[in-house]
This record gives sequence, structure tokens and C-alpha cells, in this order.
Amino acid sequence: MLFNSYEFLFAFLPVALAGFFLLGSVSRVWAIRWIIVASLIFYALWRPLNVLIIGPSIFINYALARSLQHLGQEGKVRSSRVVLMLGIAFNVAFLGYFKYANFLAGAVNDAFGVGLVLERIILPLGISFITFQKIAFLIDVQARRVTTFTVQDYCLFVLFFPQLIAGPIVHYREMMPQFRLAPCKPDPEHLAVGLTLILFGLFKKVVLADGIAPLVSGIYDGAGAAGAVSLLPAWMAAIGFTLQIYFDFSGYTDMALGTARCMGIRFPPNFNSPLKASNIIDFWMRWHMTLTRFLTAYVYNPLALSLTRRRMASGRPGFVGRSATMGAFLSLLVFPTLVTMVVSGVWHGADYLFIAWGFVHGVYLTVNHGWRLVVRRLWPDRGLYDRIMRPAGVVLTFVCVAAAMVLFRSPTVQSAVVLLKGLFGGFGVALPAPLYDRLGRLPEWVQSAGPTEVLGAYYEFKPLFLWIVGLGAIVFACPNTLQLLAPYEPALGFRTGWRAPGLGGRELVWRPTLIWVIVMSIVAFVVALHLGGKSEFLYWQF
Amino acid sequence: MTEAEILGAFTRILRDLLGDQSIVLTMDTRREEVPNWDSFGYVTFIVAVEIELGVNFGIAEVESFANVGAIVRRTEALLPPS
Repeated sequence: MLFNSYEFLFAFLPVALAGFFLLGSVSRVWAIRWIIVASLIFYALWRPLNVLIIGPSIFINYALARSLQHLGQEGKVRSSRVVLMLGIAFNVAFLGYFKYANFLAGAVNDAFGVGLVLERIILPLGISFITFQKIAFLIDVQARRVTTFTVQDYCLFVLFFPQLIAGPIVHYREMMPQFRLAPCKPDPEHLAVGLTLILFGLFKKVVLADGIAPLVSGIYDGAGAAGAVSLLPAWMAAIGFTLQIYFDFSGYTDMALGTARCMGIRFPPNFNSPLKASNIIDFWMRWHMTLTRFLTAYVYNPLALSLTRRRMASGRPGFVGRSATMGAFLSLLVFPTLVTMVVSGVWHGADYLFIAWGFVHGVYLTVNHGWRLVVRRLWPDRGLYDRIMRPAGVVLTFVCVAAAMVLFRSPTVQSAVVLLKGLFGGFGVALPAPLYDRLGRLPEWVQSAGPTEVLGAYYEFKPLFLWIVGLGAIVFACPNTLQLLAPYEPALGFRTGWRAPGLGGRELVWRPTLIWVIVMSIVAFVVALHLGGKSEFLYWQF
Repeated sequence: MTEAEILGAFTRILRDLLGDQSIVLTMDTRREEVPNWDSFGYVTFIVAVEIELGVNFGIAEVESFANVGAIVRRTEALLPPS
């Protein structure tokens, strides 16, 4: 059941909320139980088998957590570490079997030609998100950051339907205090903010992301079939898909936040205008923020900390400020960064292209860090640097992110290679026919001057160009949903509004006023005209 | 070391690390509030603190510090009584 389906919006969600509020007026415990049952139904409606697969793993994790809790109370640190390692190994193996067994068999076949054959393994929906949350919970219990929990609390934490399929990836310690304090009855502010988030999210998904998607798909499909794509359509495919996934994931996140907020629950921020980032480090602090938080805490930090400590213990210089050496930079920053981003790629999907995408972002990040070290010496005037490099950095970051998205979107390795070659002009420069005709003899001169071939166009240039301009304007010139709703803390700790140039320093924010009622009614009307499609959120496949 | 002395040492370490002499840390400072103090710089900062002050943080707890004050208090607890 998609968030953007009639079934969810007009049947499941109203019934789930009504049950929660009705039971909440009698008993908080029953309201929570209702949400757990509703979440199980939500999950089972996709494929009932999902519940049978995930259910046992939830109870094994609960048993492991109980064991960690007892060992912690008895002060048996070493034993608790062993149990934690077993728990992590179980969850990684669980994820590995369902998500990666077929890929690994294929990779072995590719490498050694041994012809391994596996039955088609069903991939339970949202398994990557659910597994990461379960691992984080075990770590929290072992570290004694979570000391009390019940089976009901744990089931609610893992299954809560607004974040079950595609996040945000939350911590038990940031969710449970909210559930304990949630009013469990209709609250005008929570409902108004929640429904506003849902409407904005729907608009982003069904109008914007789904609007540009067919035009983008045309080029990706065509590139694979034709075996060639020229410069302009290659970049339009890269940028077009970047904008599509931006609004798709942003829309999903708004809807997840809004659905939870209707019940008085706030999720942590997960998406904060990443394409406004002025460098790739900043980009990852704004894109899928809870995944970045997880990978940083549980992959990068342990790896970087242990490597740094080991290096220091052996008497070699560490990676500290201006005294950084190349050896320290490579081993203490480049290596853990690349490992973390490859893990990120693998987490997204069992595919060579996702691994390559993660690796490319790892390279971007290390270049960014290296640049930061060098630029302090080369360009000491920080004010001047910021004035020039901030806008330049936004453009550069956008171009890098868009180019890497080709790896994320391409259906096959072959089409990715074709598109990447096209991005660098490997198949010449195609221009739209009307533009080509107006250039007079220029194309001939260009062709005679170098190896670049100038071709007439064959793809739908104008509609895709208009979509890119329109969506780009929204991305770069408008506040995001969290900023608009900042006075009402739409996400945990998010209270920073947006000051529009020309508004005299005032914040442009949503308020329950007549103007906003009109605006949101228009949004709802446009959404209603576009509802009913069957397009899944891109992040639901992970 | 007192809390104020530890906070002073933290400020000096972070200024050197990020090359920014304008940084002023308080007990309430959160990492997101300091320009360029990203997650990568955070690990380096933690290890620099370990080296300079002779303490050793648990890997799991590194992720859980909510603000600079939490790191200061944990450091104070780890330091041998003077």
C-alpha cells in the first residue's frame, strides 16, 4: 500500500488514526497496541509472507536485547560484547541472505564461471531500514543508553508504520519518550502540521517527481537500447533524475513525518535541501540524514577511531589539523571514508552500480577533505573564499551529485557506461532541431575544427528542459517544508525558518491563516488531479 | 582539571583542527553549530582529545554525546583525580 494511494490516504490512514484516538481516550496501552496491529496490517498488505519473515527476527532481536540488558545489570561487560557481536552478525547475515545472496552467487559465477544457482529469494520490504534500526537498538542496550523496555515498546519501535518501509532510521531513545508522552487524542496543532506535511509530500511526489519521471526514463531506456547518447541528453538525464529522486525522497520523507505527526510523534530531520549544499560533505549532512548518522556512528567512527588509535600507539603521526601527513590522510581519512561509502552503496542495493555510486561519493568526500586541508594554506582570506567559493561550490556539488546519479539510476552497467561516456562528450553533441537550424554554419565550423560531432536532435528536448528549469527554481529559490513549518518543530529539534530576500528579514512560514488555507487548498486540488497512479517511491525498493 | 580547563583545552584543539581561531566552545555548543565541524572532523577531535588529555572513550559512547558539555563531563570522569 503506497503512501500516495487512495487505499492509504482514504482508508488505512483515517482508520488507523481514528482507532488510535478512540482507544487513546480510554487507554494509552490499547492505543499503542492498535498502532502495532495497524503497522502489521500495513506491512502484511504488501505481501503477508513479509510478516512471517520479519516476525521471528524481531523476537530473536528482542531476546538478544533482554540478554544484553541482564548482562549489563550484572556488570558482565565481556559477555555482553560477545552477545552484541552475535546480534550484529545475526542481523547482517539475515539482511545478507535476503538481499545479497543472489548477487553474490552471480558475482561468483561472473568471476569463476562456476554456474551457482540459487532459488529466487523474496526480498522483504524495508528490510535494510528495519535491520539498521534493530542493530542500533542492540548497541544502545549494550552501551546502557536504553535500560528499560517491554516487548510492546520494542515492537512499536521496529514496526511503527510511518517509518517502516523507508525510514527515517530512528533511535529507540528518541522515539520512546515521545510515545510515552503522546496525547493519544486529536490535537489541532499536530493534525494541522501533520496534514500540511502530508499534502506537501504528496505534491512533491505525484505532481513533481512523477511529472518529470517519464521524460527522464525515456533517455535512460534509449541510451541502453541505442548504445550511444550525446552530451546534452546525457546531462539532461543526469540532472533530470537528480531532481526526480530529490522530490521523490523529499516527498516520501514529508509524508512519513506528517503521518507520525498526526499522532503527535516527531521524527528526526531526514532531508534538508541537500542540493543547496556548497560542498559534498555538506550534501551528506542534508541528504538522507538519518542514514548518514547511522553509517557515521556505526561504520565510520569505529573504523576511524581504531585506525587512529593504532597509528598513534605505533608512534606515527596522526591526522590532526595542519600537521597532517599524506600517510595519515590516506589511512585515517581516505580509507574509512571509502569503506563507509561503499557500505552505503551496498546498503542501497545488491548491484555493481550501487557499489560504484558509493565509491564515487567516497572519492568526492576525500577530495573535499583534502581540499579543505590545502585551501587553508593557499587561500587564508576566509571571507573572500566564502564569497567566491560558496556559490561555485553549490554548482560543483550539484554537477558531481548529478553525474554520480547516472550510476544510481541506470538499469544496466552497459547503459551506465554509455551515459557516462555521453556526459563527457564521447558520443558528440546533439542539439534540438529548432536550435540546430538557427545556428547557421556554426555546427559545420565546430565539426571541422575538432573531433566533436554535431548531430541533429531526436529526443524530447523542450518538455524536459522546462521541467528541469521549473524544478531547479523550486530547489534553489524556495524554502523547504521543514523551514516553512519551523515554528511548529516539524522534525525533532528543527526550528530554523527561512528568510526570503525582499521580506525585510521576516521569516516566510506556514501559519493557520486564511492565506495558507487557500494555498493548501490549491495544493490539495492539484494533488487530487494527479492521484491514482501506481508509481512507487524510489526509496521503497531498499 | 576543572570543567573550565577541559573546555579551554577543547577550544584550543578544535581551533587548531579546523584552522579557525574564532571558534568559542561552551558547554551547550552542539557540533552542528560550529562551521565545518563535520562528522569526520569530530572523530579526529575525539582522538586528539584522547591523546592530549590521556583519556580513552568507548567507541559506542562517542556517538552519543549530545553537546560539548557531555564530552567535557565524560572527560572529567575519565581523568585521574588530581
